[in-house]
Amino acid sequence: MSKINIHNVSVNFRIYHDKSPSIKGYFSSLFKSNKDNAYSNYSAVKNVSLVIEPSERVGIIGHNGAGKSTLLKTLCRIYEPSSGIIHVNGKIAPLLEIGAGFHPEFTGRENIYLNGAILGLKKQQIRSLEDGIIRFAEVEEFIDTPVKYYSTGMHMRLAFSLATATQPDIIILDEIFAGGDASFVANAKSRLREMIHKSDIMIMVSHDHELVKSLCNRVIWMDHGQIVADGLPDEIVRQYLAADAIGE
Amino acid sequence: MQAIKKITFNFINVWAEVISFREVLWQLTRQQIILRYRRTFLGYFWTLLNPILMMSVMAVVFATLFKQDLKTFTVFLFSGMIAWNCFNTIVVQSGKSFIANEGLIKKIYLPKLVFPLSVTLALVIDSLLSFIALFAIMLALGGELSLALLFIPLAYILLVVFSFGIVLVVSVATVFFRDLQYVIGVIMQAWFFLTPLFYKPDALTGKVAWLIKLNPLTSFVELFRAPLYLAVLPSIDVVLHTFLLAVFSLVIGLIFFSRYEKKIIFRL
Repeated sequence: MSKINIHNVSVNFRIYHDKSPSIKGYFSSLFKSNKDNAYSNYSAVKNVSLVIEPSERVGIIGHNGAGKSTLLKTLCRIYEPSSGIIHVNGKIAPLLEIGAGFHPEFTGRENIYLNGAILGLKKQQIRSLEDGIIRFAEVEEFIDTPVKYYSTGMHMRLAFSLATATQPDIIILDEIFAGGDASFVANAKSRLREMIHKSDIMIMVSHDHELVKSLCNRVIWMDHGQIVADGLPDEIVRQYLAADAIGE
Repeated sequence: MQAIKKITFNFINVWAEVISFREVLWQLTRQQIILRYRRTFLGYFWTLLNPILMMSVMAVVFATLFKQDLKTFTVFLFSGMIAWNCFNTIVVQSGKSFIANEGLIKKIYLPKLVFPLSVTLALVIDSLLSFIALFAIMLALGGELSLALLFIPLAYILLVVFSFGIVLVVSVATVFFRDLQYVIGVIMQAWFFLTPLFYKPDALTGKVAWLIKLNPLTSFVELFRAPLYLAVLPSIDVVLHTFLLAVFSLVIGLIFFSRYEKKIIFRL
């Protein structure tokens, strides 16, 4: 069974005041003793420890900049923890940025193969899923057209359809997407719910507390990179909203 | 001892990961090749035509300038330029691979090595195809078919491994110092003139002669020139020299790469 073990993880960013230092700046700073204004350190996630067991549906709530998305990206290995250890058992499907690898010059079909590979699918697997992906995305007529000519809705439908084509063990969601026409949104939502239902673990970040309460059985409240509270959805959301009302 | 163990372990890990993502590596390589010719009238043909036209101009200019026989000089020039073009495009193009794929790297996890490696592989395929075209011209101009040609695949392997080691350093360093993109262009231009491509290795005398001796590419050019121009196998000294250079370059490149690859994401 899948399991996630996050042990004392921190993710630090260096904020460069001058985003990309030049070679000249680098060498001249070697000879200067005060390196004070080159960059400042910022911890997006601070000493977070967390164990997620199978069948848990975890919702992460908190203000913007609380470190929720950084934590999810670290789970997906996009960021390397500055310290601490993450241990993941199971196949992760990151639905953070669907269609991340879409190339505008490539046709829809070529992008299915390119992105399928990026998502970890084998060629034969993609071939057997291809028709289903195209049908669900409702882009049959345009599948051999470069995606740069796609409308935003078509682009999103194809990306979603591809990202949800296989059943993962662990689902990671950052804000449930919106967009597309009503019938597609309804289809997508029911597909996503079914996927979540079949998965071992689901972790999501959302500002929609009703959605979190309906999908999750555990809620974590994060603030300034740390876990403030962790427990049953109704209880934690109530605490969070109460703290918010006081104005913290 | 412990350090060596750790480095070896790292190397195996890095490559094992690339192998498990080989599907992506292949797709990204394919993408490079397809994108280059899409929407141009002559398509992929440009990949072959471009170096031929460039080198033909050089052949005419330098043959006239040095009062050489055009046919012999062309064969001489082409044999060295095949090696140089392969090296030059790999270092310049693959060096930019992280910056070019910034969007992807920030959104999804892929082993970092696939980015420079896919660009390099695509360029090797280009280079092999343009080799065939150039070789046909060389034959027409009086180049010789000999058994020594069987050495060419090995020459390519040595050259590509050497180039890739440099790419590993340049691609990572470019993320940290964006200026390098432009500096590299100038360095490669100087390197071009210091490599015996349109002159014989002993032709450049005086203060810079030692640079030619020090220049690792001199041996790699020799590796291609011996079978293509002289129709003989390169000397064992040259082969050994290039082999050591290739291994050295790759090891240094991988050490540098595995040390900094995890910081790339924070600097893009």
